[in-house]
Amino acid sequence: MASTSAETTSSSSLAASTATPPERRGIPGAQFVEDVQTFLNQLGLDVNPALAFLQERLQQYRLVEMKLLAQQRDLQAKIPDIEKCLDVVATLQAKKVAGEALIADFEVSEGIYSRACVENSDSVCLWLGANVMLEYSCEEATALLQKNLENAKASLEVLIADLQFLRDQVTITQVTVARVYNWDVHQRRIRQAVAAASKDS
Amino acid sequence: MMQSEQAGKSDTEVTWEDQQNINKFERLNNRFHELEDEIKIAKEAIDNLEDAGNELILTDEEVVRFQIGEVFAHVPKDEVETRIEEMKEMNAKTLEKLEEEKEAVLAQMAELKKILYGKFKDSINLEED
Repeated sequence: MASTSAETTSSSSLAASTATPPERRGIPGAQFVEDVQTFLNQLGLDVNPALAFLQERLQQYRLVEMKLLAQQRDLQAKIPDIEKCLDVVATLQAKKVAGEALIADFEVSEGIYSRACVENSDSVCLWLGANVMLEYSCEEATALLQKNLENAKASLEVLIADLQFLRDQVTITQVTVARVYNWDVHQRRIRQAVAAASKDS
Repeated sequence: MMQSEQAGKSDTEVTWEDQQNINKFERLNNRFHELEDEIKIAKEAIDNLEDAGNELILTDEEVVRFQIGEVFAHVPKDEVETRIEEMKEMNAKTLEKLEEEKEAVLAQMAELKKILYGKFKDSINLEED
């Protein structure tokens, strides 16, 4: 639920809640609260419903955080895989240059290995996903893998920035919860003090 | 403004700057934990390479099975030795960079702690639970 864009009173002496930061790729921005009373009035909620609303926001943030963390783990696993592939292609090319065949032990099944002799070849096959495998020359394969690696790294950077933004919003919301709660405790204390005073007098 | 009554324990106002400091501290704390994990991984990799190097000295085979990608290629012992040295160097450099970043992060966190504890004293807790 996006808060209404607050009045951008530039040099007003009244403490107004700052405008909501723009949402980022589907993650709602958390509104920073300058003054708790104004914030509650703006929401049109009492303390307890307001706290409930903020807690719900935190839950939503947690869900998104889990999703992003899972994506981050996937990317972080994918990058070393691509680097390994680049390694293999480079080794094949080096062997071709040296004119030697590559002898390697590979896993046939779990725990069972067999020996392969890879003759000089100018091409490799790359698994593109979705049951598709294409043959490429070594140079083309290197170029393609390199591009995939760069894309993966770029996606990871964007993802990390998303996570940072998300964590900031979570922190802001947590601080707001604490402040609303403290404000409420403070208000109750004042009311009690006032009630006690009027009773005595 | 409206909340700074002196009577009783009034809560200090949280400004946007304070919030940004808190956010920054939180980011640094996260980065610190990530760095600790990465440092652990780098150290383990170096240990493994050490072990591999030692095994290499002990073995009397001329051809070693060296893992490239998912397969174990037959590589002459000297070449394996060179490769292991290169990998150890790379990891050592990475480790150094990570340690440096960790120090920088800790220093920044200490700074922020001073600022935030200075303003909020007991109302804020920045320690690891």
